[in-house]
Amino acid sequence: MTSLGAPILPTSIAWGLLAAFSILWVALGWWLGRHNRTAEDHMLAGRNVGLALATATAMATWVTANTTMTAPQLALQLGVWGMLGYSLGALGLILFAPLARRIRELMPEGFTSGDFIRLRYGKFTWRVFLVVSLIYAFGWLVSMAMAGGVLINALAGIDYRVGMTVILTVCVIYTLLGGLRAVIGTDFIQTIIIIAGAAFIAWLTIDKVGFEAIHFNLLDERPELLNLLFPAAIMFLFNNLLFGVGEIFHSNVWWSRAFAFGRNVGFRAYLLGGLLWLPIPIVAGFIALATPALGINVPAADMVGPLVAAEVLGLTGAIVVFIVVFAALASSLDSLLAATSDLVTRDIYRGHIRPRASAQNQFHATKVIVVLLGLLTWLAASYRGEIPIVGSLAELLYFTGAFVASAIWPIVAGLYWRRANPAGAALSMILGSTLGLISYFAIGFYVAALVGAAVSLVVMAGSTWLWPRPFDWGRLARDEAPAGGSRA
Amino acid sequence: MTISAAALATIVVIATLVASLTPILLIALFIRDWKKGCLW
Repeated sequence: MTSLGAPILPTSIAWGLLAAFSILWVALGWWLGRHNRTAEDHMLAGRNVGLALATATAMATWVTANTTMTAPQLALQLGVWGMLGYSLGALGLILFAPLARRIRELMPEGFTSGDFIRLRYGKFTWRVFLVVSLIYAFGWLVSMAMAGGVLINALAGIDYRVGMTVILTVCVIYTLLGGLRAVIGTDFIQTIIIIAGAAFIAWLTIDKVGFEAIHFNLLDERPELLNLLFPAAIMFLFNNLLFGVGEIFHSNVWWSRAFAFGRNVGFRAYLLGGLLWLPIPIVAGFIALATPALGINVPAADMVGPLVAAEVLGLTGAIVVFIVVFAALASSLDSLLAATSDLVTRDIYRGHIRPRASAQNQFHATKVIVVLLGLLTWLAASYRGEIPIVGSLAELLYFTGAFVASAIWPIVAGLYWRRANPAGAALSMILGSTLGLISYFAIGFYVAALVGAAVSLVVMAGSTWLWPRPFDWGRLARDEAPAGGSRA
Repeated sequence: MTISAAALATIVVIATLVASLTPILLIALFIRDWKKGCLW
């Protein structure tokens, strides 16, 4: 029987893997970003990323440590619907495909999601959006850093803060060196590693345990996990669907890619990336259902994936999981660092502090902000457990659900409804986030996004119907055209 | 209502098959883009 009592990977091997992959990512980051000369090169990789790299980066960014560690956790807690519900997160990528095309058409020179909200809805809504977006981005960054520390500690016995610091530092360095080009280039390799590793563990679990044994033991010990009418799990399924859509629709991680992908690439890349992402949570999550058959004691739900892999595959399993989760962490952390630093640079630094900042000023500011974001994330993740809301990975992740789901309708309406009301957009985010948070604490983590999205829809649709405000789409391209040193 | 072992197996095997083929597809796309000079 395996438990979390002792590390399942020798510390020396873990340090070797950490060193090898850290050197690889940093070297690649430097190499890919060596020709970056302008803010546009650094922030948007030259705006002409092809289909292969675009699809891989969409997948890699969406396959986070939350996918590789939380998908098994949710399968363990919510059963079959837990892993199926998580896989519905793919709909966020798929539904963003037409939005990516529209964004590129409306704002060929755009940089961030904040640019769009400011031009479409005005400054007040823009500021509300920045609060929502930055809370989410920071929550995601901290959850990634925490996942890194937890994983390294559980697998190799390396101190939580040391492991978390190493992963965060590596990602900050290569994002700093290569910008989005480094992020996208490393994402391609990380995608291959993550998916091949997860599939490898799944095949061996199927081979060694078998579905009959898994099913028989679950029926005996945890029959609710096989129940297709498990109420909390069904609510989770819809909540996760909306959470995923909200995350992708509003976050600059996905908008910056829409601006960076080649002109006819965005739609196909997001669609293909979503379809290929769909099975990953099932592959990563199903192994948790094998715990009763394997007789594994799971003291911490978010460590069930690594525990099963180590039980089934021994040292090889521990090594594969370590590499997969390190790649998953890096692929999301780098994207978040790059996209959030772009958002802070464009919308806080240039938007609020130095409106006349030149392209070169922004280029340097982006780099400083990446380092500052890394430091802030390190501070928050260092005090894991001492901050009341920062509990398990899933709890932290879904805490941000209320915020992101409330941004879905303002984004959709802003892109497609000519008469969308700007004040309604701000109010829908404020009320959606507030009521979503109340439901998070009053009912449970699995309803925050559901309530946030529902309230936001009612306010957005109602305000637009009652007080329509016609908008000229051409303003988005005109007002964002290079002028006043905004670009190189 | 409980999911059967066969249904569970079908879902997981299909998902694992697709995941296994994905790296091959991505590498093929990469080679195609590289040959056409449109990686970036």
